[in-house]
Amino acid sequence: MVLYILNGLYFGAFLFLTSLGLTIILGVMGILNLAHGSLFALGAFMAAWTIGLLATGPPSTALVLAIICSMALTAAVGFLLERSLIKPIIRRPLEYQLLITFGALLLMEDLIKLVWGGEARYASAPFDSMGRASLLGLEYPWYFVFVMAFTALAGAAVWVVMARTRAGIMLRAIAMDRDMAEAMGIPIKRLSSLAFMLGASMAGLAGALMVPTSPALLGIGMEPLIMAFIVVVIGGMGSLKGAVVGSLLVGQARSFGVGFLPELEMPILFLIAVLILIGRPQGMFGKG
Amino acid sequence: MAGRLRRREFVKWTGAGALGVATGATFSPRAYGATKKEVPKGPIKIAAVSFLTGAAAAPFGIPGDNTFKMMADIYNQQGGILGRKIELKSYDEAGGADAQVKLARKLIMEDKVDVILGYISSGDCKAVLPLSDELGALIVAYDCGSHELLEGEKSPFKYPKYTLGFRSKAHLGIDNIGLALMIKKYLPNVKKIAGINPDYAWGRESWRVFEVAMKKLFPGIEVTVTLWPALGATDYTAHITTLMNSGADIVHSSLWGGDAVTFTKQAIGMGLFQKTRMAYSRGEPYPQELGADFPEDQLICCAGTHYFLYPPHDKWPLNKWFVEEYHKRYNKYPTYPCYHAYQAFAVYKAAVEKAASLVGGWPTPEEIAAAMKGLAIETPSGYLHIDQDHNGREDVLVGFTKKVEGYPFPILDPKRMEVFPAHMVNAPAGVRTEDWIQSWKV
Repeated sequence: MVLYILNGLYFGAFLFLTSLGLTIILGVMGILNLAHGSLFALGAFMAAWTIGLLATGPPSTALVLAIICSMALTAAVGFLLERSLIKPIIRRPLEYQLLITFGALLLMEDLIKLVWGGEARYASAPFDSMGRASLLGLEYPWYFVFVMAFTALAGAAVWVVMARTRAGIMLRAIAMDRDMAEAMGIPIKRLSSLAFMLGASMAGLAGALMVPTSPALLGIGMEPLIMAFIVVVIGGMGSLKGAVVGSLLVGQARSFGVGFLPELEMPILFLIAVLILIGRPQGMFGKG
Repeated sequence: MAGRLRRREFVKWTGAGALGVATGATFSPRAYGATKKEVPKGPIKIAAVSFLTGAAAAPFGIPGDNTFKMMADIYNQQGGILGRKIELKSYDEAGGADAQVKLARKLIMEDKVDVILGYISSGDCKAVLPLSDELGALIVAYDCGSHELLEGEKSPFKYPKYTLGFRSKAHLGIDNIGLALMIKKYLPNVKKIAGINPDYAWGRESWRVFEVAMKKLFPGIEVTVTLWPALGATDYTAHITTLMNSGADIVHSSLWGGDAVTFTKQAIGMGLFQKTRMAYSRGEPYPQELGADFPEDQLICCAGTHYFLYPPHDKWPLNKWFVEEYHKRYNKYPTYPCYHAYQAFAVYKAAVEKAASLVGGWPTPEEIAAAMKGLAIETPSGYLHIDQDHNGREDVLVGFTKKVEGYPFPILDPKRMEVFPAHMVNAPAGVRTEDWIQSWKV
């Protein structure tokens, strides 16, 4: 039972980081970013490349640098993406967003292939070097514990930025009423770029944390994208609290689903999303 | 000089293969040889379709495509096929079955390709192969595994299903039956089994054949749990915990590509291999992918006898040549998709040459198909036979992993490797695989 809870928390950590980025971009800019999965993949490839480059040094140092490099790269790509493709369509209907961001997804997949090739990239040294912890009489990889702790820290840092800093408060104001925020003189364009960079870097962080346990492969961002959408639907679009609760709920539901209703592993998640949509279409913590 | 000798050796081997061993082909020179036909001067257009993007690209699509390119280059150096140069173009299999049907239609109707050699996904094979007869073009499926592709719904069934559609390899039956036979021989006290297979046709069919074979060979065996993770999952922790709690002696898995690597890596970290033993139905590429971390004593099946160390290089020089040539070009040992790509290309070439020798010019797709049916050729893995149902028949190699000095990853233990001959792992034409297993007298 304890292991299922831990597994649910571990999986929920990735869901949280990925959906957090998605929900920030959705909340502040109103953009449904299908390219978010490619940003996850970009973070994974960058981390695998960095860890590979530093293979002769301590794995922990390589991991920290990989995380920094992945977040920096995805933030920079997010900035370019926002300025070049997103900005021109920000007030266009949803179908434009979907088309453009899906195009960006394909473009980034090809760019990854161009830079890193089509081969799988492995970077498991940090995972291998940490070994297993003995927790409550159970064996559990230290790396999984590290991922959970680091995610909690990242989530807390984002919360502090959004709740306590001037930029964060302005971002929340934009999320609440974009037109009013613009009328109040809030620099929407600059802050939109900041939101996109922050969201993109969260996807990059998730990809970087994933790569020690799973090779960086072309198309690796699809599953996290789909799962992040489920979390956002359940938690509520644009809600940070929703991302936390949604990730925990989906993580635990999947973990216990696999353990006790394995035939319904995926349907359970969609069923939860459907029930939430019927009962509360805006999600658990979304705006009415 | 050494390179020249190797090349000459290869020409000798493939020359023998090109003539083929007509095992029961319903092909008569009298039927086709009435008038001598011309051999066109232009190049042969061959479309090679594999996953070049997405999760299946790295472990399957790119190695397969590399081999298609390598063989086109080598055949062209030898003068092409009947003197015609080969113009090979690679296409991406990504996008789903509908996209592949559109692509195949375009390749056949607009680009006028001579043959499509392609497809890794069983879903794509099932969608595209019917186009062969509809559009009158030759299509050779090279890597997809579904046993239902060319089988009927009930035994006995009519065959071949398609006149111009082929698969140049055996289906997934050989992997899963081979594993069951191996378990029976080496681990006869197995009482409980479990499964973790991807949740689509490939995974479901693989498990079904394995389960039927195990229940036949081990009456009363208990299936403790069957898990169906989604394709492309990045987290298997819950599955691993469930398998560790299942009490299974053996866990069967047809996970492939990044999924197999991710699962194995996380399973090592969580201690699964201390509790049970895995039986990977398509495990051959993964020790090489994971390196020294890949655990010992696990059951690995090779999708045929496709292994860089088998057939032994001293006894079967074509494998030695193939391994060295591939390694020289791509700095990796060939994995089973490479062998499958070789087979598709070699079967096509051999069938064209055999048909041409009978009709006296460039053969039609129907004539090539007639020559392909019943064809037997030498491949780097041994003998390949295309049976009357247009499906390949092969032996299968199964073994236990073992760390051996000189290799940076576990190889198949030379003392615990078994080759099960084709007649023990392939159902005869016209009989469904599951029905055939049920008919065994154990």
